[in-house]
Amino acid sequence: MASLSEEVLLVVKKVRQRKQDGTLYLMAERIAWGPEGKDRFTVSHLYSDIRCQKISPDGKAKIQLQLVLHTGESTTFHFANESTALKDRDAAKELLQQLLPKFKKKANKELEEKNRMLQEDPVLFQLYKDLVVSQVISAEEFWANRLGGVNNAEPAPYNNKQEVGISGAFLADIRPQTDGCNGLRYNLTADIIESIFRTYPAVKQKYSENVPHNLTEKEFWTRFFQSHYFHRDRINTGSQDIFSECAKQDEKGLKSLVTQGVKNPLVDLLSLEDKTLDEGYGISKTLPSTSNAIKSVKESSNSAIIKRFNHHSAMVLAAGSRKGDVPNDQASETSSTDGNSRDSDLFQPPLKKVKLQEAIEYEDLQRENAPKTVALNLKKSDRYAHGPIPLQSQQYTTSQDIINSVNCIRQEMANYKPSLTRVLSSTTATSAVAALSPGGVLMQPVGQQSINQMVPTDIQGELKHLYIAAGELLRHFWSCFPVNTPFLEEKVTKMKTNLERFQMTKLRPFQEKIQRQYLSTNLTGHLEDMFQTAYGKFHIWQTRRMMRKT
Amino acid sequence: MASEDELNLLVIVVDVNPIWWGQQGQREPQFTLSKCLDAVMVMGNAHMAMTRTNKLAVIASHCQDSHFLYPSKSWKSGDSGGDEASSSRDGKYELLSVANNLIAEEIRSIMAKTEVTGNSTDTLLAGSLAKALCYIHRFSKELEVGQEMKSRILVIKAADDCALQYMNFMNVIFAAQKQNILIDACVLDSDSGLLQQACDITGGLYLKIPQKVALAQYLLWVFLPDSEQRSQLVLPPPAHVDYRAACFCHRNLIEIGYVCSVCLSIFCNFSPICTTCETAFKIQLPQMVKPKKKKLKQAA
Repeated sequence: MASLSEEVLLVVKKVRQRKQDGTLYLMAERIAWGPEGKDRFTVSHLYSDIRCQKISPDGKAKIQLQLVLHTGESTTFHFANESTALKDRDAAKELLQQLLPKFKKKANKELEEKNRMLQEDPVLFQLYKDLVVSQVISAEEFWANRLGGVNNAEPAPYNNKQEVGISGAFLADIRPQTDGCNGLRYNLTADIIESIFRTYPAVKQKYSENVPHNLTEKEFWTRFFQSHYFHRDRINTGSQDIFSECAKQDEKGLKSLVTQGVKNPLVDLLSLEDKTLDEGYGISKTLPSTSNAIKSVKESSNSAIIKRFNHHSAMVLAAGSRKGDVPNDQASETSSTDGNSRDSDLFQPPLKKVKLQEAIEYEDLQRENAPKTVALNLKKSDRYAHGPIPLQSQQYTTSQDIINSVNCIRQEMANYKPSLTRVLSSTTATSAVAALSPGGVLMQPVGQQSINQMVPTDIQGELKHLYIAAGELLRHFWSCFPVNTPFLEEKVTKMKTNLERFQMTKLRPFQEKIQRQYLSTNLTGHLEDMFQTAYGKFHIWQTRRMMRKT
Repeated sequence: MASEDELNLLVIVVDVNPIWWGQQGQREPQFTLSKCLDAVMVMGNAHMAMTRTNKLAVIASHCQDSHFLYPSKSWKSGDSGGDEASSSRDGKYELLSVANNLIAEEIRSIMAKTEVTGNSTDTLLAGSLAKALCYIHRFSKELEVGQEMKSRILVIKAADDCALQYMNFMNVIFAAQKQNILIDACVLDSDSGLLQQACDITGGLYLKIPQKVALAQYLLWVFLPDSEQRSQLVLPPPAHVDYRAACFCHRNLIEIGYVCSVCLSIFCNFSPICTTCETAFKIQLPQMVKPKKKKLKQAA
């Protein structure tokens, strides 16, 4: 049934499907067909389900449109309106052509995104296995918070791939090989085709117009290579050639490029012409031409080649910088290909200044603009002197004591002579050694052995996974509070059952396992505490709800 | 010629606080500063005798200043004055006898010059450690090409900690950590929290010896091996260090507290104005929810 909110893009009457008359509706997200007289749709396909569309060739009597779905089945619509059948069919086809690509990507993108996320992050993958595969929570809840970016149109944060530029020699790389007989083989790869389309948008347009209706791809490219558009002579033949328009467009574009000139005021291209000092010192401009005709042909072919080279280079540069370019970049030197000739005189003086300043000044040598900092203003700076050290009782020494001690030590050290043979007596030495031997006074292990030395690593790993999974569940649980909507109420109860289930299926076996291994340390106490807190909260909420209802 | 052996530099910082040692001399006459210095000399000799490329430096940490006992500046300037010093009377390895004589001479002169005023009765340990670090740094710059050096500092501590040196001490500790210099501590009298932290942070050994008389034995057993050899030996386990900070208002050790984000001073209670830097803070209290008036359902 058509919902009222769906936007109907196109309605075609008198469309037969399976020998029944009816009307075809194209909507925002699906295509549907309903039989004549009834107001419900018998056939309805989402655009994302449709793999491709096919049309009957022009010559046939029946004008048909076929939709092939991803599942393999196909639906055929026969446009039966005598007068406007072809037009209708073409209109439907055009619309589908625009809509299908949009939906095709969306369906796969989500799955792709999910797979990618699971593959990239092993922790996430483990969490997914623990929770979803063992059916503790459903897959939708799991992906609820994680897939924020996929349904937006922008894949930008994940596609940080750099754009590949176009090689200037892409046409030359095609390298035709002789076929044995008089023909030439051109090897076209997808890269080359893409380069051609990016550099020459006119060709791309011709391609989309003609393929797949008038010509097959192969025919298109054969024509392309045969045309003089491709070859260097570029002598315009008759208008049979579909590329003669392209040639004319290119001529126009080139002329506009030349008139536009270079925007950098410090670069004067015109002064680079060949200048002659005198006869014999360079190229003389006026040469008596013996045979004008031949000369002119040769000259014109030379100038044609040079023109082609220049144009080709300009197009390659423009295509490479087209996507990242700021449209109003005054300082850029690449010329635009759409032939806009801006009035560069207006921009001349400030541009020159900018260029000169760039040449004179060095960023490194400028004064550093460090961010302004606020000075620390302390009222009691003596606190820093002792720092966070607890107060210790100082021994009080009277000044008399001090004087006595100093005198004492001075006397002693005045006659100090090292007597290194009587430093240590054997008894003291042995008692010291005893204290330092294992089991001695100094060798008692201080404090407990840390837990991570007592617990085997695989148990540690399992505990870690348990914590991650429990954390995820508890996060879902606690995010439901405060419970405002009925959806949250449902979710809260569901999460509580999930928590209980998790405790049963995962936590208890783990506890039993470590008990069996005689590990006396309490590894799961904290987890249990967390669960109990959650249950307690749920209980409180439930009782409050009961009280409110009564 | 560049030697391929790794240089091992040991810097011994001896606490020669005259007040403490004077009192110690009266308390226990069998262990005085002389005995302590003898033990230090034995340790130094042993260290230098282990490998030819081992180097030694001894710094005396006094109340007034820190003084290099060995190597001393006067030694290098001219051998004529050092004739007496260099001739060893018992056939000892010359380097060792020179070192011993120098140390004895220096400590005698330091003690003779001691004048203690009432207010400076604390050992300048942070300063001595800083001097040790500088010496190590200078030494490492004078190495030949291709020579590597490993260094450590051994602190023999007698008197109590001085809380005012906290900042400098911590700076020294972190500098040593950055330079991979171990700080070992042999404590004679009372435990020192600062040295415990120093040993923990830099990876050295902290030991409070039960018998001062057997100082030489402890030094040779525990502190003579360098860090590589220590991993092969069974030595006293590291002590548990109490890293709890004390709050600035009461100087009590606390585990959870409040820290001012401007001056980083630690408090045990929240106060809206930090007393050190007078910054005002607001803390968000949980919202007070007004109880809603509920309409009571009329009993049918």
